[in-house]
This record gives sequence, structure tokens and C-alpha cells, in this order.
Amino acid sequence: MGIVVTGVGIVSALGIGVEKNLAAISLGESGISALPKLLRTTNKLPVGELRLSNEELHALIGIPIEEHLSRTALLGILAVKEAMACIDIDFSKRVGLVSSTSVGGMDLTEHFFEKFIEDDTTGRLRDVRMHDCAASTEAIARYCGINSYKTTLSTACSSAANAVIAGAKLLKHNIVDYVVVGGTDALSAFTLNGFKSLMILDEKPCRPFDATRAGLNLGEGAGYLILQREEDAKSYYCHLSGYSNRNDAHHQTASSAEGNGAYLAMSDALKMANMLPADVSYINAHGTGTGNNDASESAAFLRLFGDSVPPFSSTKGYTGHTLAAAGGVEAVLSVLAIKKGCRYPNLNFATPIPEYGLIPMLKYENDVLVNSVLTNSFGFGGNCSSLLFTR
Amino acid sequence: MEQLVKELKEHLIEELNLEEITVEDIDTEAPLFGDGLGLDSIDALEIILILEKYYGVKLANSAEAKPAFYSVKTLAEYIMQNRK
Amino acid sequence: MRCYINRVITAEEVSSDIKLLIPDAGVRRRMSRVIKSAVTTAVECMGAVEEIDSLDAIITATGWGCLADSERFLRNIIVDKEQLLNPTPFIQSTFNTVGGQIALLRHNHCYNVTYVNRSHSFEDALLDAMMRIADGESEKILVGAFDEQTPSQHRIMERMGLFRKCNDGEGAVFAHITATQTPESKAQVEKIDFLQHPLSEEECFARYASSDSSKLLYNNYSEYGLFPTSSAYCFAKAVKLIQDGVKEVVVYKEYLGDTPVVLIIRCIG
Repeated sequence: MGIVVTGVGIVSALGIGVEKNLAAISLGESGISALPKLLRTTNKLPVGELRLSNEELHALIGIPIEEHLSRTALLGILAVKEAMACIDIDFSKRVGLVSSTSVGGMDLTEHFFEKFIEDDTTGRLRDVRMHDCAASTEAIARYCGINSYKTTLSTACSSAANAVIAGAKLLKHNIVDYVVVGGTDALSAFTLNGFKSLMILDEKPCRPFDATRAGLNLGEGAGYLILQREEDAKSYYCHLSGYSNRNDAHHQTASSAEGNGAYLAMSDALKMANMLPADVSYINAHGTGTGNNDASESAAFLRLFGDSVPPFSSTKGYTGHTLAAAGGVEAVLSVLAIKKGCRYPNLNFATPIPEYGLIPMLKYENDVLVNSVLTNSFGFGGNCSSLLFTR
Repeated sequence: MEQLVKELKEHLIEELNLEEITVEDIDTEAPLFGDGLGLDSIDALEIILILEKYYGVKLANSAEAKPAFYSVKTLAEYIMQNRK
Repeated sequence: MRCYINRVITAEEVSSDIKLLIPDAGVRRRMSRVIKSAVTTAVECMGAVEEIDSLDAIITATGWGCLADSERFLRNIIVDKEQLLNPTPFIQSTFNTVGGQIALLRHNHCYNVTYVNRSHSFEDALLDAMMRIADGESEKILVGAFDEQTPSQHRIMERMGLFRKCNDGEGAVFAHITATQTPESKAQVEKIDFLQHPLSEEECFARYASSDSSKLLYNNYSEYGLFPTSSAYCFAKAVKLIQDGVKEVVVYKEYLGDTPVVLIIRCIG
């Protein structure tokens, strides 16, 4: 049975919606700014931040401010609404949701905890009500008309890709008729300081796959797809033909030098689609800009594709690393690459990594035939996922 | 120097949560990473914190002073040279 | 969809020494209480099963995740004003830490995901496992759930008024399940049903029990205290009841306003 993508929705530092995101990318405009403006932090580090406050986001969606939703939920609702508006959904059918997040309502919890650790009778409970990951899923379901099975996954930075995989299985097993899949994550002091403590944040805009890369920039956003069984869809963007989640089983936070998990995930996704490495038209790489990830991913590319690595790029130079949402944001960009016939450049690249000599896409390409896109998402705990979209 | 070595070992045991290891168990000249004490890249980050927190020695990353991260002895020497 | 349950272990039943289950002191020393408890439960659960390294999926579930590490890092950010932060609690606070550690211990490259869906987390993990088995993607799967209570979490729940009827709780449960029956198989999962509306005890029995001798565990989770994955303990209890001769157990769970889930566990054959 074929699974097709029938809707896409995206929010990132580039803006709200497919049009804004694609326009910025085609013009080579990055969403990463030198300093956080809304996030409460003393860290002077570049971030990919959506410049709308939680109050503005509530107003934009038309949710009363008293609802006091977490930023993660708000970003998710925006992207899911866009995805669901792509088609006429028959709500008499089962509409499911598989969402994902890495920090859930941490943006609100941070406010709560500041007071709470001083005096445990203080801190507003409404600031901690949305802390758990499923709270954002519940909010999305409530505001977007989800009427059937819903669940939440969290596997760090590969979360949304795993949500896509889980959603496809729900369709195959006839548990849902439509399924909204993806991820959402707001910037938080928790994650910014977390990656800072690991010393993998670049103080300058990130340079994925460059020899001089010095870390990642954090971003925030949400990316969701609507998946349906092919026979139920009137029209579609593309097929989801292959997917895989494998584990690198090397280290809690670092990837293996050989890129074992990445290699296994990519190979499995191709096998599932009965495709050969040579059939891949474009890879949207995980490409965070850290020394370790980009080396490991490059090694995996060379193992799988040999001398003929397909055109590839990391789009994190535009959006920053949106953590759990990254797999969703990049799945949306991958689907659009097929639908619109475009391939995205890799910002801030100058010098190939000497050991691998790989050069990513450097110019925005339009009007090209993109038959298949492989997109990678890797996370802590050795979690490696690849999705394969085809025309 | 001897006092610094002892203190450094205590900080390592405390901050790295080294189970069942005493100051006497740590060989001052044995490698910290890999074969010796068996520390890894995350421990390296925590050692950078120890240097800054207790001795005011700042490092952007462990590669910056790689030879200093060889053993407790080399770390102590590095602190002596760079502390404020 | 059906799968066989070969072994279920709760954290309380782990009898082996942690040093045997997690031999690397370097790995143990970074683990918080919940990670130690969940990983040792997982390893003990795998240990008695043959071909321990041939698992082809590891699916974990947690409602709260690694709370103590999350709190510790958050506290450090505030107290130390974002300076000189130790990365370990941040790393270990990730929801898939337990799944990742199990893979790391066994050098296992298989499918490995974590469901974080409040009181449905364990059932969602079990559904995923059963779909993988039905699709022929997996033969042997480790499915488990864990949650930890912390003083802060307790205080917050107390302020929310959640302990009026129920005490707090925490725990870990892991199960080894297979696509085909093995000499170790104790019971089988017959059905998982996610309901949109609550059912009374009578309605639930009438709808799901296949005979009058079936046993219904209706909202029994309160026996184990108030934590999102407490129903994994009901699952473990259901398997014990089957071992004691009950033919069918229906587990019904409705937790803090979440929609209900029903599990049907049957004897083999």
C-alpha cells in the first residue's frame, strides 16, 4: 500500500508558512540572528528565533490569551493548521496525530521554576501545566480538529522523523484515515544552555559541512505533513516510499566516526523503497554544523554512495537546528523539493572537510526534476532516522 | 604541587561522580582518558569546568590544551602555569 | 494483531546486582535513579531470554521522562546564572536516554524509539511493537515503561490537588515480546483499544470480556500510585493472573482525564 503526502505546514525563524520559508531560502536569506530577542537568557549566541511573542502568537491563531499555551504548542498549531488547510479533510473520517517535541512546555516551566525554587508555594501552576510533551499534542489536537488516535514521541533531534514513521504505520494498519505527523520545539534557556554546556554552539552563523565548522545554532519551529493511503487521496505532493530508524549504539551524545547508525538508516530506507543509491536526486542532510555530526554523516554518505554522492545540503544555516522539529521542518522542505522541482543551497560553506572532500549544494536550483529526496535526522542516544520521499 | 594534585583528584571524584574510587586509587601519572581512568569526551567538558570553577583557568575546549588533559600530573602543571 | 509475552519484570523484581547488569562503572556513574532503575529492569528482562543480542526493536515509554536530571539542570541554570554548567544532567534529561543506554550496553543497532504520551505512553509503545510484528519488521521486541517521582513533582501535584484520592508513585516495567510462541511464552496480547469515551465497569466487561470467567482490572492503576505509566504494572499483573490460571484479563485504564485504553491479555492458545 502506498502512503502519500497530501499537506504540508511549516514555521521557522524564516517565518510562518511554506511561502515565506521558500522565498527566504530562494533568496539566500537566513533566519538566524546574532542574538536572541524574545528568549530570556544572558547568552549572547546566534539563534533562529521566530520574532513573535507568545501573546502575538495567541492573537494570530485566535486563541484567547487566558489559554496560556506553551510556545511549543503555539508553533505546532500554526504549522498543523497550514498543513490541514492544504486539503478538504472529511472530518467524519478518523483524523489522527503523531506529534513530537524535545522540551515540551519548557518555555513556561522556566518561569515557574524560578519562583518555585525560592519558595515551593509560589510559581503559577498554569506555567507548569503544559510541561510534559503530550500537553502540546493535546493542544494541537484540540485546536485542529483531531478526532482519533493521537500520540507523542520524543527521541531528541530525530523525533519528528520518527513521528512520520509512526504515522505511516497507523495508516497501513487502518487505525486512522488521515494522520498529521511532525514535530515542534520552541527555543528555551534549557536547550540553549544545554548545548552551550556541551560546547557545540557556534558563536557565529553555523557552517555545516565546512572544514572550519564550529558548532550549531539553535532554532525553533514546527513542521508537519498530512499522510494518507494513496487510494484515499484525490491528489498528493509525493509518496513516502521508505523510512527507517536505527541506532548508532556508539555514545550517548556523539556519533560514530564510521556513521554506522546513519548508514544503516539510509540503506534501510532505500531498500524499503526498492531503490538504489544512484536513484536519489537530493539529500537534505542532518548537517548540524558540529565537528562530530558532519564528519560522521559525511563518512556515512561515502560508505553508501561511494564516489557519486547525490547533491546534498543542510538547511540548518537558514533555520538553525530546531531539535525535535528539525525532522518535520526538513521533511516539509524535502516534499516541496519534489513538488516544486527545487534544491536548496547550504549556507556559509567555503572549504570541504579534508578527510571527505564533499561539497554541498551551493546555489538555489529551480525547475529541476527532483524524483526522490532522502532526509536525515539524528539525535542523542544514537537515534538515527531517514525518510525517503519520491515523486 | 602535591596539595594541588590531591585537591584535583578530590574534585575529579566529586564532580565526575567516580564511584568507589578514592584519591589513592588514582595514579597521578596514568592517562585520564581511554585505558587509565577511562574518562570520555563528556568528562573532558566537566574537567574544563573544574579548571575554571576552582582555578580560574579558562579553556574554550579540551583540544586547546590537549597535552594538559593527559594525566592528573599534566593537569596540575597546566593549572600552576595558568592560574590567576 | 497479536504478540506473545515471554517475560515481564518490574523494577521491584530485579534481583541481580547492578554491577552485573551494567558492568561499566563509567556508564553507571552518570545515571540518575530512574535511569538506573529502568536500565537494570530492561537488562534483567532481556537476560533470562535466549539470544539476548538478537532483539530487533527497543520501544520505551515514559510520561514524565528523566525528571530529576531535568530539574537539576534547570536549577543550575537559574542558580549559576547560566554560567559553568555541567552538561551531564542535560544529556541525561533526554526522554530517550533509557532506550539509548540499552542500545549502547548491548551494541544493538535496531529500531529504538520513545513514546512520551502521558498515561497512554506504554500502550502506544505496545501498539507500535504489535504493528512491527504484524508487518514482519520485528520478531523480538523489548517494550518498557518508566517514570520517576521527585520532591518537586510531588509538591506540584499536591498543589494541583491530585493526591486527594491517590498516593504518588513511580516505577519501571519491561516486557520481552515475540511474534511467535516460544517455550517461555506466558500470555498473549490480544487487543489494544483506544477509546474516545469512558466506559463503566459493567459496560467494559460486557464489551470486552469473551466469557464470564474473564477478569477485569478496572482502573487498578491507583494500586501503584499516581504516575503516567502505572498501567504497565497492571499489564504485569495481568500476565501473572494468566500464569495463575485465569484465561483472559481485560485491563481498563482512565487516568486524570485522558481518554481510556483497554488491553486484552489472554492465555496461550
